[in-house]
Amino acid sequence: MSQPIAMPALSDTMSNGRLVKWIKKPGDAVHKGDVIAEVETDKAVMEVEAFQDGYLSGPLIEEGTEAPVGQIIGYISDSPNKVQTAEPLAAPSAPHGADGGNSSDKPAIAAPMSAVLAASTIASRQPLARRHFASAGPVRTNAPISSAEPTAEATPHTSASKPTLVAIEAGPAYRLERASSLREAVARTMIASAATPTFRVSAQLLLDPLLRAANERQQSFTLLLARACARAIVAHPLFNAAYTPEGLARRERVDIGVAVDDGYGLITPVLRDAARKSMTELSRDWAVLHDKVKKRRLAPAEYSGATFYLSNLGASAVVYTFDSIVPIGAAAILSVARARLEGTLCTLACDHRVVFGLDAARFLETLAQQIKEPSKLSV
Amino acid sequence: MSQELLYWQALNRAMDHEMAADDSVFTLGEDVGLYGGSYRVTEGLYAKYGEWRVRDTPISENGFTGLGVGAALVGMRPVVEIMTINFMLLALDSIINGAAKIPLMSGGRLKAPLVVRVPGGIARQLAAQHAQRLEHTLMNVPGLRIAVPSTPQDAYWQLRQAIASDDPIILLEHELLYFTKGPVDFVAEAPPMHRAIVRRQGHDVTVVSYSRHAVVAQDAANELAKDGIDAEVIDLRSLKPIDWDTCAASVEKTHRLLVVEEDCRFAGAGAEISATLTERCFYSLDAPVQRLAGLDIPTPYNGALEAASIPQIADIVAATRQLCQATSESKAA
Repeated sequence: MSQPIAMPALSDTMSNGRLVKWIKKPGDAVHKGDVIAEVETDKAVMEVEAFQDGYLSGPLIEEGTEAPVGQIIGYISDSPNKVQTAEPLAAPSAPHGADGGNSSDKPAIAAPMSAVLAASTIASRQPLARRHFASAGPVRTNAPISSAEPTAEATPHTSASKPTLVAIEAGPAYRLERASSLREAVARTMIASAATPTFRVSAQLLLDPLLRAANERQQSFTLLLARACARAIVAHPLFNAAYTPEGLARRERVDIGVAVDDGYGLITPVLRDAARKSMTELSRDWAVLHDKVKKRRLAPAEYSGATFYLSNLGASAVVYTFDSIVPIGAAAILSVARARLEGTLCTLACDHRVVFGLDAARFLETLAQQIKEPSKLSV
Repeated sequence: MSQELLYWQALNRAMDHEMAADDSVFTLGEDVGLYGGSYRVTEGLYAKYGEWRVRDTPISENGFTGLGVGAALVGMRPVVEIMTINFMLLALDSIINGAAKIPLMSGGRLKAPLVVRVPGGIARQLAAQHAQRLEHTLMNVPGLRIAVPSTPQDAYWQLRQAIASDDPIILLEHELLYFTKGPVDFVAEAPPMHRAIVRRQGHDVTVVSYSRHAVVAQDAANELAKDGIDAEVIDLRSLKPIDWDTCAASVEKTHRLLVVEEDCRFAGAGAEISATLTERCFYSLDAPVQRLAGLDIPTPYNGALEAASIPQIADIVAATRQLCQATSESKAA
């Protein structure tokens, strides 16, 4: 008996996963809970665990390929003799050669629809728009020879009917590079946020006390800043709310998302309960998050659901001021530029459906107060 | 009094019976005489009726087809055999500009009782130039009639009716049907040549097809019956004219229509059937008419690709299931 391994749903938003690496090879004994593969989801690389004891068996999907959630990516067989591999194993328990998956180890993809049926289905069921304009995706992958359209339509130029590409076509030659799933996720979030009615209020804050405290206590400046924001939010709880069509979602806990560049793109590890936890606890949390970001092992639960966001470009000496896009689910995001003698320019971008100009001004005043007395932040 | 015969034998008997009954009937074409026909349809006729009535011709399709047209105009009843429909392209001038038009252009004073018998369809790995279907081309020639027998009985009846008719008629014979067997009754009265036949009664969905795919559709219907889907299969038997009444009556009963053809989907028989039955039965239909057809590509030589280029039983089963499912869902909603 072989049990299929399905592409797991590792986050709520995950619809596809890219198989980064098989940790086990066909024929390897696996125990329930063993990590057998790594899968890249929206934002992170996650581990896939064996759900039962047995032997990993092919056909496995190839490393680097993407599969929808639920698709079979491999098998766990209950006997080493039933394991399917690309090349026969010398002995069932012998370690497998490095190139376990060669060309005959085809991805286990459901049998494709026959071309004739696809021709019928495409012509009658495709949404009008797709039939008439972009014949890029499904048409070509499902039925390479079945398109009912004249062949001229299948040329790459068809894709130029998308407005973005039209603009690009007017410029120099280009090649399309697949965006990383992280970039795709950021793009989705940003597009979702574009409809938020936003206003910005900038303040010049003297961050020196906070910088000094960070140095003295060997604490992260960002962490102290997040703490200061969290305390300001406690004083102005509207900043912890989020607008929904059903009403304002007023959250019980202040969770601060901190924008970080992990070398591949933007990610926002979340400091949970940033207002109430002790600084020691928060420092520990932050260290763990930081470590995971560096290893690209941040789980969706660790980078989503913040109630307020913080973005710090202070490391860049030339940035005078900047603002950020308010992510969905938050009321505001604070953008902190380079610290200067005369004060650091901090811009609060707010969702106008939740907070108004005066709220922002008061919030910034409280924040300025918090920053002046870093000793109180630890209490 | 019926007899089990192969399709080619039924055609052979029809030729024999017509030639015996009427001296003006003769046949001509490549290898019809001494060799007995590529698919044995004229076997034995050369010996029985001699070289004047069973005439071997050079490889000159437009020439000998034109000869047939001329003979028909002056009162003979020629049966021209074109070795495969692929070579018929060369004879289209005689057929389209000659046989199909002269009766009208002569004000009816000249008749063209011509029969052109052509093997066609996709057989087994004969490659693109020998695996064409030209129904769509021929259907668009006013003045021609087209019969597409799928059983030995129809082959017998329709060839005899074609010879007896004063109109120019194309008999499209499918190459994979020549060696199929079935009962042939020489005595029974034949239905009109263009009458469609309900091959299988059903009440869930109407499947309209013709020629070999009418047989394939029946096999698919038997598969579907196992799932409790009761498909009615109509064999058109004639592509010009088409017996709309039989089709419409069935669609009005089942409310769903699937059209299956081996010919290409674009602007072919299926398109015509779908359009006309949609016009006639629009208010009876529970779902849009579905079509399964050959792909719009030259037929591949590779056996697997060849099979993938035309509807198979599994395709018909799947498409019918989808059609029935979609409608029952929309009804539930």
